[in-house]
Amino acid sequence: MADQRLQTAGLRGSPPRAAGPTRRRGPSRGQRKYGHLWFIVPGLAFFMAVMIGPAIFAVGVSLTSWSGLGKDFSFVGLQNYINALSYWPFYRAALNNLTIFISILIFQHTFGLFIAVQLNAKPKFMELYRTVLFLPVIISLVSTGFIWTLMLSSNIGFINPVLKDLHLGFLAKNWLSDPNWALPTVIVVTAWNSLGWSIVLYLAGLQNIPEELQQAAQIDGANAWQVFWRVTFPMLSPSFTSLTVLTFIGVFRAFDVVYVLTGPIGSPNFRTDVLGTLIYRSAFGGSGFNNSDVRMSFAIAMAIILFLVMTLISWGMITILRKREIDA
Amino acid sequence: MRNIGKTLLIGALFASTALSAFADDKVVLTMWHNHPEWKARVEAILSKFEEQNPGIDIQLEEIAGTNYTTRLNTALAAGEAPDLFGLSPGPDTAAAAAAGYNVDLTDKLDISGLTDSAKAAVTIDGKVWSAPILGSYTVGLYYQRKVFDENGLKPPTNQSEFMALCKTLQDKGITPMIAPAQDGIIPAFLYMMMASSVLKADGFDAVRKGTRKLTDPDVVKAAYFLRDIYGCFQEGSLATPYVEGKALFALGKGAMLEGGSADYAGFLETNPKVDLGVVPFPAVDGGVPATVTGMEAPYNINAKSQHIDAAVKFLQWMVGKEPAQMVVDNITLTTTKGVLPSDNRVMKEMIQAGTSNDVRVFYELPETGGVFGAIQQNAAALFLGEMSPEDFSAALQATIKPSGT
Repeated sequence: MADQRLQTAGLRGSPPRAAGPTRRRGPSRGQRKYGHLWFIVPGLAFFMAVMIGPAIFAVGVSLTSWSGLGKDFSFVGLQNYINALSYWPFYRAALNNLTIFISILIFQHTFGLFIAVQLNAKPKFMELYRTVLFLPVIISLVSTGFIWTLMLSSNIGFINPVLKDLHLGFLAKNWLSDPNWALPTVIVVTAWNSLGWSIVLYLAGLQNIPEELQQAAQIDGANAWQVFWRVTFPMLSPSFTSLTVLTFIGVFRAFDVVYVLTGPIGSPNFRTDVLGTLIYRSAFGGSGFNNSDVRMSFAIAMAIILFLVMTLISWGMITILRKREIDA
Repeated sequence: MRNIGKTLLIGALFASTALSAFADDKVVLTMWHNHPEWKARVEAILSKFEEQNPGIDIQLEEIAGTNYTTRLNTALAAGEAPDLFGLSPGPDTAAAAAAGYNVDLTDKLDISGLTDSAKAAVTIDGKVWSAPILGSYTVGLYYQRKVFDENGLKPPTNQSEFMALCKTLQDKGITPMIAPAQDGIIPAFLYMMMASSVLKADGFDAVRKGTRKLTDPDVVKAAYFLRDIYGCFQEGSLATPYVEGKALFALGKGAMLEGGSADYAGFLETNPKVDLGVVPFPAVDGGVPATVTGMEAPYNINAKSQHIDAAVKFLQWMVGKEPAQMVVDNITLTTTKGVLPSDNRVMKEMIQAGTSNDVRVFYELPETGGVFGAIQQNAAALFLGEMSPEDFSAALQATIKPSGT
C-alpha cells in the first residue's frame, strides 16, 4: 500500500502531496531579474514630469517663433538654431565661459591640490581648516554674489578703502566696472566659491592612496617631489577626472554669480557676459521696461545647443581621462 | 466608537462647507506692483479703498522693478498672473490683448476724468485695456539744493553749462553726477532727454513717421553729449546697480542725478531729510532743456480673474480724484484731470520742469519701442570709447520701425 502511494507520487522516497490548499509559487525568473525596477518607477515618473517632459516641450517651442508673450507659435523649423549658430554674441559669451573654465581648472588643480596635500598631513586644527575652506561652497551663489558686490563696490565696498589705509592704494581698482578687471574679478569670486570642492575631492583621493606605496618609493630613494609626481599624483586620477568634468559643467552653466556681480548685460560692455546671462537676457529681456528684446524660442535654441555641446565635451573628457586612470 | 468617529467626520465636512460659503462673501483681489519702495504709500491708498468697499480686499505683492517683467511674462504664459497687473502701455499691452491675457475695459471703465495723454496711452485701436491708477512719471534732473547753495552754483540749462559745472564740482571734490549704469537704464533715459532736446515733440513725431532719423547730424550731437557726460559720473558707474545709485544720491554722495517723479518717494525712504530741486535736463547746445514722460504701468485685469466686476470697481475708484490726490501728494504725478500736488514742492517743480519741452518716453510707442533696449546694450561701448557716437546713433536707428503716417 505504502509502495503504491510512493509510485503514485512518481518519485521514490518522496512523500505524497497532502490534500489541502495549494502552495503559492515563488517569484518567476523575470520577476527575480527585473522586479527591482518597480522601485524606481516613482522616482522615474517624477524625473520624467519635471525634467524630460519640460525638455521635450522646450525643444518643441524652439522650433517656433514664440517670443515668450502671446500665443503665436508659428512653426519655423530650425531657423532659431541657424540664427543662434550665426549669432556672434553667443561665441563672445562662450569665450568668456572658456576663459573662466581654464582659469578655475588651473587654480583647482594647483592651489586646491596643494591645500589638500597639506591637510592630508593631518596638521593641528585640520577639522577647523577643512570646515572653513569648505564654507564658501555651501553659501548660495546669489549670496556669494551679493557679499562680493558689497565688498568690491567702488562706492560702498571696503576692499579699496582698506587697501588705501594699508598704503596699497595703487592696487585699488574699479573691480567690476573696469573692462580689464571685471572678468578676472568674476574668476576670483568663482574660484573662492569652488575651492572647497577641489580640496574635498583631492583629500578623499589622497586618503585612499595606500601609504605602503609611498613608503616603498621612499625606500627606493625617491625624494618628496618624485614620490608625489610618480606615485601620488597618478593615483589621484579619479579625483582629477571628477573635478575636471564637474568644473566644466559648473562653469558653462554659470549664471547666478555673474548676474548678481555685473548685471543682466554682463557689464561693462559684455566683458563678463556668459552663456547663462545671454540666454536669460534673450528669454526674458534685459530692459525691465518693455518686452521689445524678448525672444524666448531663440533663447531655448541657444540653451539646447549649449546642452548638446556640453554633453559631447563631457563625454569626451570622461572617455579620455578615464583611459588615463586605467593607464595610471 | 466607530460611529462617533463617523459622526465627527461628517460634521467637520458640513462645517467646512458652511464656512467656505461665508468666506465667499469677501472678494480678495491679487495685485502685483513693481516699486517696492512705494509699498507703504500704495498700501495706504489700498486701505482707503477697502474702508469704502468692505467686501473687497486687495492683496498687494511688490516685486523689484528689474525682475517684474520677467516674473509677469512667465506668470501670464503659465496662466498664474494676479487679478491686477501693471503693464507698459503701447506694444506690451497690445501684445497682451492679442494673446487674450487682459480684459477689454472699453464699456466697463469710465476714463473721461483722465488727461488726454493718459487716455491715449491706455487706448489701442479704439479699445481701452488698462487704467493708469498710479499715475505717470516725468524724468528730469534732480540736484542737491544744499550743495548748490553752499557753492553758489546754479542748475545747468545746456551742455556747455553742464560740462563746466561738472569740472567745478570735481575740482571741489564733489561727485558731479550719480549714474547707476550697470543695466543701462539710466543712460537710456539720459539719451532720450538729450535727443528730445534737439528733436522736441514734433521732431520725435517725425522720427516715428520716418521723416527724421536719429542719425541726422543734429541728433547725433545727443550721442556726443552722452559720451562726454560719462566723465562726470561716480567711480565704478558701469557696475553700480540702479538701487545702489538711488541710495547714494539720497545720501548726498553726488550733486545731481537724472531721475523721475517716481524716484522721489524712494529718496525719502532712504533719507527723509533729503533736500532736492528739479529742473529739465540740460539741452544739447542749441536745443531746449527737455523732460520725458511715461505712464507708471497702467493696470490691466487678468482675463482669467474670478472677480472681474470687483476689479473694475477697484480701477474705477483708483482713477477718481481722492486716490489721485493721494498719489500726487505721496508718490508721483497723477493722470487725473484737475488734481495738483497740495503740498509737495518737488512734485510741483517736476510739473513745472515738464512745461519746458516734454516728450513721450520712446519705449511706449511701437515705432521706437526697440530704442531703449539698444541704448542699454550699446551705452557702455560708447562710454568706453569702443563705439563712435555715429555708430551708436546708427545702432539705435536700426531698431526704429517708422509708421510712415
